[in-house]
Amino acid sequence: MSAESISVIKVGDLLLVTVPSDPDDETVSALQEQVLQAMARHQVKGLVLDISTVQTLDSFFARTIAESVQMVALMGGRTVLSGMRASVAITATQLGLTLGRAETALDVDRAIERLGAAPAQGQSR
Amino acid sequence: MIQTQQGEFHIGSESDIVLARKLVRDFATELGFSLTDVTRIVTAASELTRNIYHYAGSGLMRWRPLSEGGHAGLELIFEDQGPGIPDVDKALEAGFSTGKGLGLGLPGSKRLMDEMTIESHLGQGTVVGVRKWLK
Repeated sequence: MSAESISVIKVGDLLLVTVPSDPDDETVSALQEQVLQAMARHQVKGLVLDISTVQTLDSFFARTIAESVQMVALMGGRTVLSGMRASVAITATQLGLTLGRAETALDVDRAIERLGAAPAQGQSR
Repeated sequence: MIQTQQGEFHIGSESDIVLARKLVRDFATELGFSLTDVTRIVTAASELTRNIYHYAGSGLMRWRPLSEGGHAGLELIFEDQGPGIPDVDKALEAGFSTGKGLGLGLPGSKRLMDEMTIESHLGQGTVVGVRKWLK
């Protein structure tokens, strides 16, 4: 329904993905697909998934994110989740959510820093 | 103060999960819950609405304000005429799911709310009630 509100922007050798604030399940699934297509299209080493506007992270949303992180990893990339709100972090933990192997950062700046500062994955360019 | 009245909402499609979240968010905010509690309540509503949509296809969400012995709160009731839950105790164990979910919906919602009741009859349906009190 609101698949247009997902934005995937290439910044240097990273993708910056902005997640809409209250996406339906269809949009969440579309997000995963768009991210993977963009990973394949652009030669990037990782992506920042900005969830700073997300108000509700339920188990479906979290599972899709965790899956996406794993898929991106299979494609040789790293994902850093940025900007999780305090209320969402508290709720997600109580709900029992784990986000798999997702790395996290307080905001987009720190997420980019993290992806840039880390040792290169695989072969160097 | 229309928002603080009781109401009901029919769940029949996937996009109704988003609408249910919005209704519950407005209702809980209007009643004066903190942002964190609103997030807990909305997240539980999201899980329970999705359960209805996935397992029963359709159902009803009802909401009402509570007032007992000087305490105020809210109650949400999720009702469907779906297949019912074969083993409620099992369904409340984290990680147990007969569907494609994570198995966090019921046990997770119970942790997020103050009270939860489940009444389920095989072949007849399920009624899940949850309550949260204002601190």
